[in-house]
Parts: sequence; structure tokens; C-alpha cells
Amino acid sequence: MNVPLSHVLAVASLLFVIGGVCAVARRSVLMILVGVEFMLTAASLAFVGGALAHGNLDGQAAAILIMGLAAAEAALGLALLVHAKRGGATADIDGYDRLGGQ
Amino acid sequence: MHTALALMLLCPLAGAVFQAGWGSAVGRRASALAAALAVAGSFAAALVAFAGCGVAPTHVSFGAWLAFDGFSAQFSLLYDRIAAVMTVTVTFTALLIHLYSAGYMREDKSYARYFCYLNLFVFFMLVIALADDLVFLFLGWEGVGFCSFALIGFWHEDTKNVVAGCKAFITTRIGDLGYVAALGLTIASFGEASLTGLSAGAETLSPGLAAVIGFGFLFAALGKSAQLPLSSWLPDAMAGPTPVSALIHAATMVTAGVYLLMRLDPLLAYAPPVGATAALLGGATALYGACCALGQRDVKRILAYSTVSQVGYMFLAAGSADVTGALFHLQTHAFFKSLLFMCAGIMIQACHEEHDIFRMGAPLRRRYPGLFVLFSCGAAALAGIPFTSGYFSKGRTLADALTHPDPIFLLAFAMGTLAALLTAVYVFRMYFVAFFAEPADPAPLHDAPALHAMELPLWPLALLAVGYGFANPPEFLHIRPWLDHYLLGVTTPLPPHAVQAELFVESLDALLAFLGLVIAWHFYRPARHPAPAPDGLLTAGLGLDALYLKRLAAPYARLAAFAWRAIDEDVLDGAALGLASGLSGLSGAVGRAGGGRIAVSLAAVFTAVAAILAWVAFGWL
Repeated sequence: MNVPLSHVLAVASLLFVIGGVCAVARRSVLMILVGVEFMLTAASLAFVGGALAHGNLDGQAAAILIMGLAAAEAALGLALLVHAKRGGATADIDGYDRLGGQ
Repeated sequence: MHTALALMLLCPLAGAVFQAGWGSAVGRRASALAAALAVAGSFAAALVAFAGCGVAPTHVSFGAWLAFDGFSAQFSLLYDRIAAVMTVTVTFTALLIHLYSAGYMREDKSYARYFCYLNLFVFFMLVIALADDLVFLFLGWEGVGFCSFALIGFWHEDTKNVVAGCKAFITTRIGDLGYVAALGLTIASFGEASLTGLSAGAETLSPGLAAVIGFGFLFAALGKSAQLPLSSWLPDAMAGPTPVSALIHAATMVTAGVYLLMRLDPLLAYAPPVGATAALLGGATALYGACCALGQRDVKRILAYSTVSQVGYMFLAAGSADVTGALFHLQTHAFFKSLLFMCAGIMIQACHEEHDIFRMGAPLRRRYPGLFVLFSCGAAALAGIPFTSGYFSKGRTLADALTHPDPIFLLAFAMGTLAALLTAVYVFRMYFVAFFAEPADPAPLHDAPALHAMELPLWPLALLAVGYGFANPPEFLHIRPWLDHYLLGVTTPLPPHAVQAELFVESLDALLAFLGLVIAWHFYRPARHPAPAPDGLLTAGLGLDALYLKRLAAPYARLAAFAWRAIDEDVLDGAALGLASGLSGLSGAVGRAGGGRIAVSLAAVFTAVAAILAWVAFGWL
């Protein structure tokens, strides 16, 4: 294998942090979903890298599971967002503060 | 015998349960009838048991009810001839008081509660009279205390009645500390606690231990019998309905203390200081009560102080180890004092709830001639007019004290003799003022047939008050003393020199009674238009209450205030409030962090996950 595992993990971590910062820092629901997708992708990358490094297929199976999870998450999240927009709500995450207890 | 004893106890208990469950459902008349029937059943059982009682005591046990560490308390009874006389006296007086109560409570709405407590009281009193096991006896002891509390505060809409009830309860509880201490010592010494065991094992005790146990029981008896220094609850206990005063505060409960000392007589024989203390306190209380009775205007308070004083004579006899004499005075006192109390109840109702004797006077006598005769019988017996019951029984107690070998008893005798004079004075003061005077503003009189009907149950008591003395007349009359013969072999008989002294003492007693009569006539005859003296030291019970308030209650209140203000509010509350406000600030900060901002929540989740991962990976933190 040309690329060492450590490099793959470093890229995956970097991607995870970028996704995390994106999810935390952006206010648009859409961008948060994108951030979460980044993080899931980073996790799949780590699994695939690990699978290659150790020579077994469990990691690749996990990557396929994550793809399914990501698809479901994106579909659900977008569906909720569309529903909320139709109901007159904003796409701004700070508008969803009913759990704040005021 | 077993059946009779069980029935004697169970009848009033069943009556109380019936009153509690169905008393108000069956109506006033049926409720009163059921209550009286329960006590009548008990009285019948007491008579049957009395008829079958031999010189040897009967022991009955209905099983164990507490058992631990090798100690067990039994529902056990000791039925001897003292208990036989006591139970007959108690149930007989209680029966008449129940009959009277049916009239007295004719307009009260809480009659079921009243009869429930009254029946329960009789049950507990019989437990005291019969119990052999000291723990079982303590059950009755506390039970009468509770019933007394509930009945003194019976009209609980008025707070001062409740306060009087609490005072009685707390004061007798203070005395009960002595009982508990003595009970603990008895159990520690013998491994069991019964009167039989205590009597049999008394000689194996060291004299010091016997005295300590005796003093413990004596202290409890002082509280229950309202003797100095625990006497101040009884005058206030007059807040209860008048039949209650007659039942509890004359005939039965206050004599429970004396009765306990009689039952413990075998123990007291090994602890002479206890007897001497009992006799001295009894003499002092007799004098104290008689003095205070002189300063009262409320007819019931006069009788209350008189009870305190008369129970003092019983302590005098019990302390002089003359059980028969104490029992004799207990009986005669039960008859004449419950008679006087119930007369007072009629007087008060006849005068529209007026308690002041200075507002009664001759109109009362003219309207209620029967009541006047009844009251005269009771007053003569209480004052010790010759050949009434009180005359013989009081003389007997004084002769005991006079002839006791220990010279300290002479002091008790002197106090008792002085008290006998004062007794005659206050009795005839009450008698002349309440029935002969022509007051300036007499209370309006109320004439109801029910009031006249209430006199009926009192006639047997009046007969006994006048004539019961001949059940145990002194030797010089040459009439066979029935009570002495009945108790022969159960109690120590009167020593011969005491028998000889009786003539002297009885003559002195008669002289004092007539002297008191003359003094009272001099000051309170109708021609002088007796007016009440202003309230003074005697009215306030020689300041005993004030002393307790100032020396015991006030320091205690200060201590309580200190504990409340300084310890509770400043230290404990301060610490709790500080902790609470700290926690509140912390939770406010945490709350602001989670104030609904999803971005913040996500950041917090990530930080937490990062921290956990770092801990798992590197063992940081």
C-alpha cells in the first residue's frame, strides 16, 4: 500500500474536525447537515483505511453501513427542513429554541 | 375467675370500640345506654370476681405481647383482695358517673366521642388496677393519661381547654420518666418486670437499688396523683366536662399513683426512705391543697385543690405502710368527691354555666333541695364531721403517721392535722357561700327536669359518703371493721399502738372539723353578706405555676429561642441557604450554556466527546 495508515487517519481526523466546526459554527440548518455529512465521511475514510491496513473486510462493510446511514440522515434532515419551511419557519438553527425553557 | 377478669376488662374496651365506630350512628340515647351497659357489665364481672376472691392472689396471663433478648412482657393480671376492692370501687363509681353523664351531655353534639373516651378510660384504669406485668401496667398508666388529656381538652374549640389538656399530659409525662427509669432498673435486676417478681425479689435487692427503684415509682405516682411538686396540672384540668372531673380527677386516675404505691408495698418495705418521702410529700400536699382551696371562687377549682389535698392523706397512709388505711381513704374519697363534683356539675348547669360560688347562694338551695341534701352529705364527709366516711378514713391516715416509729412522720402528722382544720374551713366556706348567702347579683337560675333527674344516680354515693365509714370504723367503737378483716393476711395489719392512738386522733379530728365549721360560719354566714376576697397568692396556687413558668419554662424558652435564632436560623439555615444559592448560581450558568442554542449544545457535545476520547486514548484528566 502506497499511503501509510497514519496519513489516512490524519486526513480523516482533519475532515472530521472540519465537519465538526462546520456543524457548530454555521447557523443554517443545511450547512449543519453538510457538516454532519463531512464527519460521517471522515469516519468511513478511517474505516476503509483501517480495513486496507489490516487486510480484512470488516471496515469496508462498516463504510457501506455509514453510507446508508448518511443517506438516511440527509433524506430525513432535508425532509424535516422542507416541512418546517412550508410551515413558515426559518432555516436558521437559532430559531429552533423552544427547548430553551423561556 | 378468668372469665370474670377478662370480661371486666373487655366490656369497657368493647364499649369504646362500639362508640368509636357506631356511637354517633345509633343516636344519643342508645349511645349513652351502650356506654353505661358496658360499664355495668364490667361492674357485674367485678362483683363476681370479688365474690370468688380468696386470700391467696390469683395470677392470670392472657399471653405474651413483647419478647426480645430473653425479656418478655405478658398480658398478666394479679388479682388479690386489694385489686378486688379497687375494681369494685372503680367500676361502681364509673357506672354512676356514666348514668349521670347521660343527663349531663344531653345537649352536647360530640356525645359519641365523649362516651368513647369515658369507656376507654375505664378500661385503662382497670388495667392499672389488675395488671401484674409492669409493662402492661404502664400501658394502662399511659392510657389513662391519654384519655385524661383527651377529655380535659374535650371542648377543643376553646384553646385554653386544649392548653389545660396539654399541661396535664406533659406534667404526668414528666412523672412517667420515673416509671420508665424504675422499670428499666427492675428489668435489669430481675430480667423480668412484674409486681409478683418485684415483691418476691425485693429482699435480694441492695437497699440503695431498692430505694432508687422505689423513688422512680414514687415520682411517677406523684405526677399521676398531682402531688407536690407535680401538682399544678390538676386545678387546670377542671376545663373538662364535670363528670370527667368526677371520674378522672376524683375517683380514679389521680388515685392510681396511690394504688401503685399500695401494690409496691412489699418493695417499699425494703426502702424506708421512699415511704418517708411519700408521707412527707403527702402531708405537705394536703396542707398546700387545703390552703389553695381557701382562695378559690370557682367551685370546681375548690374541689380540685381539695382532691390534691385529700390524695395527700392517701400518700401519708401509703408512706406509713398502712395499705388498708390508704385504700380505705381512697374509697371514701372516691365516693364523696365524685358526689361533690357531680353536685357541682348540676350547680353549674343550674346557674347557666356560672362557676363562681359567690353568685350562687340561697336561691339555689330553695330551688334544688335534693341537690342541697346531696351536697351536704358530700361536704360533711369531706370536712370530716364525726361518723361520716371521711371522718374515719382521714383519722386512720393521721393515726398511721402519728404512731410511726420514725419521728420524721410527726412532721407529716402535724401538716396533715393543720390541713384537716383548713379542710373544714374551706368546705364550709364553700357550703355557706354557695347555698346560704344572698348574693348581690345572683346568677339566673335555670330549672329543667333533666337537672333534677341527674340527681338520681347521686343518692347511692351520698349514702356511701355518709355511711361507708362503718365498713372500717376504729377499734374504740367496738364494731367489727370489715375492710381490715377482709384484707387480713394480704396487708400488714395496723400495729396495736396505732389502734390505741386512734381514739386521740379521731377526737382531735372531730374537734378540728367543728372548729373549722365555726370559723367558716363566723366569716361566711349569710348575715355578713360574704364578698369574695380579691385574687391573691392562694388563688394562684401559692405561685407554684408562676414559679414553674419563671424557673423552668422561661429558661427553656430562652434556650429554645437561642437554638432557633442562633443555631437553626443563622448556622443551619445559613449553611443550607448558602449551599442552595451556590447550586442555584451554578445551575444558572449551566442553564445559560444550554439555553436552546443548538450550536452551543453541539459544541458542548463535541467537547465532551473529545474529552472522553482523550481520556480513553491517553489516560488524561
